[in-house]
Amino acid sequence: MPLTYKTIKPLLLTGTNAASRWFSYIGLGIGVLLLLSSLQMFFNIQSLLKKTSIRKNGFDYVSVTKLITNDNMGQDNRFGPADVEELKQQPFIEDAAPLLSNKFEVVASGGEVIPISSDIFIEALDHSFIDTVPPSFTWSEGQMVVPVIFSSDFLEMYNVFAPSYGLSQVSTATAGNLSITLRCEGKLEQQTFRANIVAFSDRVNSVLVPASFLGWANKTLEGVDDTKASRVFIKTKDANSNDLLSFLEQKNYRVNKDKTAFGRSKQILQGIITGLGVFGILVIVLALMLFSFYLQLVIARSKDSLQLLLTLGYSPSWLSKNVARQFIPVYILVVLFALLLTQGMQWLFHHFVMYDRPELSSILHWSIMVIALLLIILSVITNFRMVRKLLYRLS
Amino acid sequence: MQLQLQQLLPVYFEESRKASSEIWGKDLAFSKGEMIKIVAPSGSGKTSLMHFMYGMRKEYTGVVKYGDKNISQFNAEDFALHRSNHISIVFQDLRLFPEQTVLENLEIKRQLNPYHSKEKIQYMASRLGIGDKLQSKARICSYGEQQRVAIIRSLLQPFDFLLLDEPFSHLDNENSQKAMELMLEESRERNACIVFADLERIDYFPFTRLFHL
Repeated sequence: MPLTYKTIKPLLLTGTNAASRWFSYIGLGIGVLLLLSSLQMFFNIQSLLKKTSIRKNGFDYVSVTKLITNDNMGQDNRFGPADVEELKQQPFIEDAAPLLSNKFEVVASGGEVIPISSDIFIEALDHSFIDTVPPSFTWSEGQMVVPVIFSSDFLEMYNVFAPSYGLSQVSTATAGNLSITLRCEGKLEQQTFRANIVAFSDRVNSVLVPASFLGWANKTLEGVDDTKASRVFIKTKDANSNDLLSFLEQKNYRVNKDKTAFGRSKQILQGIITGLGVFGILVIVLALMLFSFYLQLVIARSKDSLQLLLTLGYSPSWLSKNVARQFIPVYILVVLFALLLTQGMQWLFHHFVMYDRPELSSILHWSIMVIALLLIILSVITNFRMVRKLLYRLS
Repeated sequence: MQLQLQQLLPVYFEESRKASSEIWGKDLAFSKGEMIKIVAPSGSGKTSLMHFMYGMRKEYTGVVKYGDKNISQFNAEDFALHRSNHISIVFQDLRLFPEQTVLENLEIKRQLNPYHSKEKIQYMASRLGIGDKLQSKARICSYGEQQRVAIIRSLLQPFDFLLLDEPFSHLDNENSQKAMELMLEESRERNACIVFADLERIDYFPFTRLFHL
């Protein structure tokens, strides 16, 4: 007959001090619940802001212009290659790229859907600074269709004033199919192209064309090979950093911070959620400590019996395993209960607060289940090591 | 297999004890099959000696060896294995689980390394006159009954050495003899050595060597 714990079990005085045991179970449950729900909220925020975030890989992308004052009006307030290089040299700026603009006149007309024509400006920017760059955003000489990335804000503005002028509002899908004519007229030459909106940008407030087209057009139509730019885009870890702001102020540069506001709110929200998660971890640690005190108490109360078992020849590691095993179902139940509660909260949040938005799911993120499993393993291991330590001390 | 004592002396005894004792400070070896009687007056360190040999205490100078292994080098797991396979003991202070029944007390030991069947417990208990006490809690048994439980408990495992520390202090002559007979039978069956320490000589223990502590 194999060695059974059944005969030993009554020797462990677990019934004593039930209050401290229940406190530790409840504490553990609350800690796990806090941790799991914060994590799930973190994932929810990620999903919700994925589409609208202008932050990419944890960076802020902002445009910088030179401050126009009464003193410098009429002067050349554009950024030269040396200015861009100086910006790149700053430790708080990861990268910088000029927004090159057209040096010739551009008139755009919208065809049948938008029967108006207007002078516009076009710009070109390094691809790594643009949030949405489809593969079709390229141009080579001889190509009569120019791909364009249009600012989402511009489209929104158009849709605001369009009804007042008896024009029809345009969806992003329709805008992609619009037949736009670009008449480009410089000192040397005039040419007409067809423009095709291939993407919308939340980050760059401009009408972007491929740099190859702009360079070619400036040179061919206007005879200019100018690399100066009115705006420079910078990539930075934090657009609100003091170093960056004081540098820009000192240089008399102005930063457009509107675009970073959303990223900031997200960062603050994530900070709060992370804080909650850390608090959850602290509560778990506290609960595990409370449970270890309870275990110490149980073992201290059962000390005589455990010591006699060891004296009679019971192995401390066998005893530790079996004593610790008694608490495994409790740990599993506590974590499962917290997991179920988190699942319930996620369902309620998705259903009643977010009105079943498709970006979110009513089911918990898979990593929450993994974390719950890891927490069970962590509790069981901590428990086992604690019991073993106490029993070895007795032997 | 031998149990060796080399220059053994409790740290709380003076060196002068070595001169008057046949065990303290001497080199001795007990072999399987031997019957060792140790006569020791109160305060001579009888229980200390038993505890040192069983590996429960380490407050001594000198060496206790089981085979070629110094037991002071054993870790907790080694002792567990040693105590469930090679050495058994009847404590002077009995050391039963007071809240468990007699049967539970015996079963806790038996299941550790079953040498006998569960039925043998009933047989041994009846033979020592406590057959009707198996379901009683140990704490409500008399000292004499508890002592017989401790004796049976020591016989439920395999062993090479059986240490007896005043095993009959609460038993009358007749019950002592019955218990001795049982222990002798069980030891012979295992070809084990009995190390029997008591205050005085007992006629019904057929010792092969006698020592004065």
